[in-house]
Amino acid sequence: MEDRLNCIESTPMNLANAPHNTPLRIADLAGGESARRRLMALGFHKGDVVELDGRAILRGPLLVRNCTSDTTIALGRGVAQKVLVELVHEHS
Amino acid sequence: MSTPSVPTVIFIGQPNSGKSTLFNSIAGLKAETSNFPGTSIKHTHSRVNIEGRLLDIIDLPGTYSLCTSDPAEQIVLTHLFKEKPDLVVNIVDASTLSRGLELTLELVELGYPMVVALNMMDVAERKGVQIEAAGIESLIGAPVTPTIAAHGRGVKELLDRAFEVIDKGQALRPRPFSDDVESQVLDVERLLPPGFPIFSNARFTAIKLIETSGHACGNFLGEVDPGLGATVDRARKAIEEDRGAPAYEVISAERHHQAMKLFEETSRVLRGKRLTWDKKVDAVLMHPILGYIILAAVFMAFFFIIFKVGNPLESLLLGPFNSLKTVLAARLGDGLLFYLAEGLIQGIGGGVAIVLPYFLPLLILMSVLEDFGYLARAGFLLDAFMHHIGLHGKSVSPFILGFGCNVPAILSTRILESHRDRVLTSILIPFIPCSARTTIVLALVAFYLGPLWAMGFYAVNLLVVAVVGWVISRFIKEPSPGLILEIPSLKAPRLGSILRKTWFQVYAFVKFAWPILIGGSLVLSLLSYFRADRLINDILAPLVVKGLGLPHDLGVTLVFGFLRKELSLIMMLQALGVDYQNLMTVISREQIIVFTVFISFFIPCLSTFVILWKEIGRKWAFVSAGLSVSVALILSWTVRLVL
Repeated sequence: MEDRLNCIESTPMNLANAPHNTPLRIADLAGGESARRRLMALGFHKGDVVELDGRAILRGPLLVRNCTSDTTIALGRGVAQKVLVELVHEHS
Repeated sequence: MSTPSVPTVIFIGQPNSGKSTLFNSIAGLKAETSNFPGTSIKHTHSRVNIEGRLLDIIDLPGTYSLCTSDPAEQIVLTHLFKEKPDLVVNIVDASTLSRGLELTLELVELGYPMVVALNMMDVAERKGVQIEAAGIESLIGAPVTPTIAAHGRGVKELLDRAFEVIDKGQALRPRPFSDDVESQVLDVERLLPPGFPIFSNARFTAIKLIETSGHACGNFLGEVDPGLGATVDRARKAIEEDRGAPAYEVISAERHHQAMKLFEETSRVLRGKRLTWDKKVDAVLMHPILGYIILAAVFMAFFFIIFKVGNPLESLLLGPFNSLKTVLAARLGDGLLFYLAEGLIQGIGGGVAIVLPYFLPLLILMSVLEDFGYLARAGFLLDAFMHHIGLHGKSVSPFILGFGCNVPAILSTRILESHRDRVLTSILIPFIPCSARTTIVLALVAFYLGPLWAMGFYAVNLLVVAVVGWVISRFIKEPSPGLILEIPSLKAPRLGSILRKTWFQVYAFVKFAWPILIGGSLVLSLLSYFRADRLINDILAPLVVKGLGLPHDLGVTLVFGFLRKELSLIMMLQALGVDYQNLMTVISREQIIVFTVFISFFIPCLSTFVILWKEIGRKWAFVSAGLSVSVALILSWTVRLVL
């Protein structure tokens, strides 16, 4: 259904373990209903391409940027572990 | 050309879309009545006159969507549904257009007359996003006007379009969902029983019923109307079976894709311009090492500046009041009149010369941090530490606001999604030294013992917050839901907005606190004239003299400290019968510290107590008061033992 990106899909991993500064596609939002509703209200849905921009020390939160809307959110580790992503390889 | 009734216009937009800036640039210039100040949690109401036409404009807190469990955002829904506005002004951050359009599409579904302000066009351009406003306009059927609210650009055009819609009406173009979802929506819409309360239009009502069903706020339906409850459940199940995901998620995703499509059809993103200055600054501000150094520096600078500005200002302003008192003492003798005059001067002088010099720079700096967007970044940096006291990074911003005043800080805990986090944060906030206590600490500890002592006091205070938080979180077992916090783009603070915010808060302080300061001071004068203060002092003597080792005369100041903390400071001088500069002649350094510690902690002030009661209930308000008294006693005794 995506026409711009040809994706070679890898096995999903959770966002907390994903590599930084690499486009990632959200494969699934697991976790509780309230956290999912919140993520969706902030514009993070299944299928979106995101990038990890940074992380805080001491198992602190992650900075996640939505590549389409260019919005950034801080996600606690616990929430990030419930977000499954896969690598996106871009061929232009 | 008088209109029979004044049209109501509601401003709605996602957080950080520049909604309040736009509102203020309209309300501030043309306001007929003054604005009622409030925190971003309360709404602001203003009647404005624009080229001879009256409008009632209402600024609501930012909301990401119209389907929310966040209590701060629910206020938006209540207003939107109750007020039935004549016009909705939807403010969209053009630099994050694709997400902002999700709320816009939801508002189109809602179907009230609306105009869209495509705000922060300058930021969008800097990011390399080119938007064709007319394209969006023709696709949604509502006027779309590019604006830069911070510079007042596009505001006039927006208002012109707004009046056009109010006068002539409009035909919005709500977009149907995919066929399978849309048919379920139509089913529910068709089966709405006659007399069912309809929000705006039947389709919107049907969508919201499906979206909220199974969710806490949708469950009441089954009780109110079992037939409809069954219909909605059937529609929801059908969607869930088709798509393999909860109905609310499917509908939200539908809107998300509509918004992305709308964005792609009307905008172009020029590549290669992505790394703008704010991205570079952010990389430093949230750097794993540099970020924390900057955070510490910001806080040190914060208090250093307040002290460096407040201290000379205080000495400067106190002079005239003291000479006035000397003159009056010579003229009026020792009668009742002198007591009253002295009380009046102490009260006014305290408000003007002791409190304001520290309060004012604190408010200005707080607005700078807030407008710059630093609070969210501090939340990101401190999240890991907050976990140790059972909270997460989102509580950081209420805490920081607490340094200004505990009352708006407690109100702002409504941004927290879970009740547990709200209770815990609200209980901890009274331990944050607010501006009143900062005044006492700076005016007593820093002034007499040196700034390092004041810093130490703050360090201990933060430690107290941590320890109390750690202890309470052992008792509240429920887990915290975790951090989901938007990091808004950095904005250069604008002088106008800072001054306006500061002015509103100073105004509220003068209106609310000065009468209490002056009244309290007068009452104390009368008490001491009639020698009634002795009675209170005698009653409190076991605590004040035996327990804390303070002068007998200070008992009465504690009573007034409950009204406002600054009052204790002003009363202290009056009760001891000395000028501010001569305080050390009657009280020792140790006593100053014990007094400051005890006054800072012994009880939340009256307004804080009331707001705690309102926000988290009577039980927790008393728990908070009890905690404060215990902490105050333990700390004061510890200080006595150590010094």
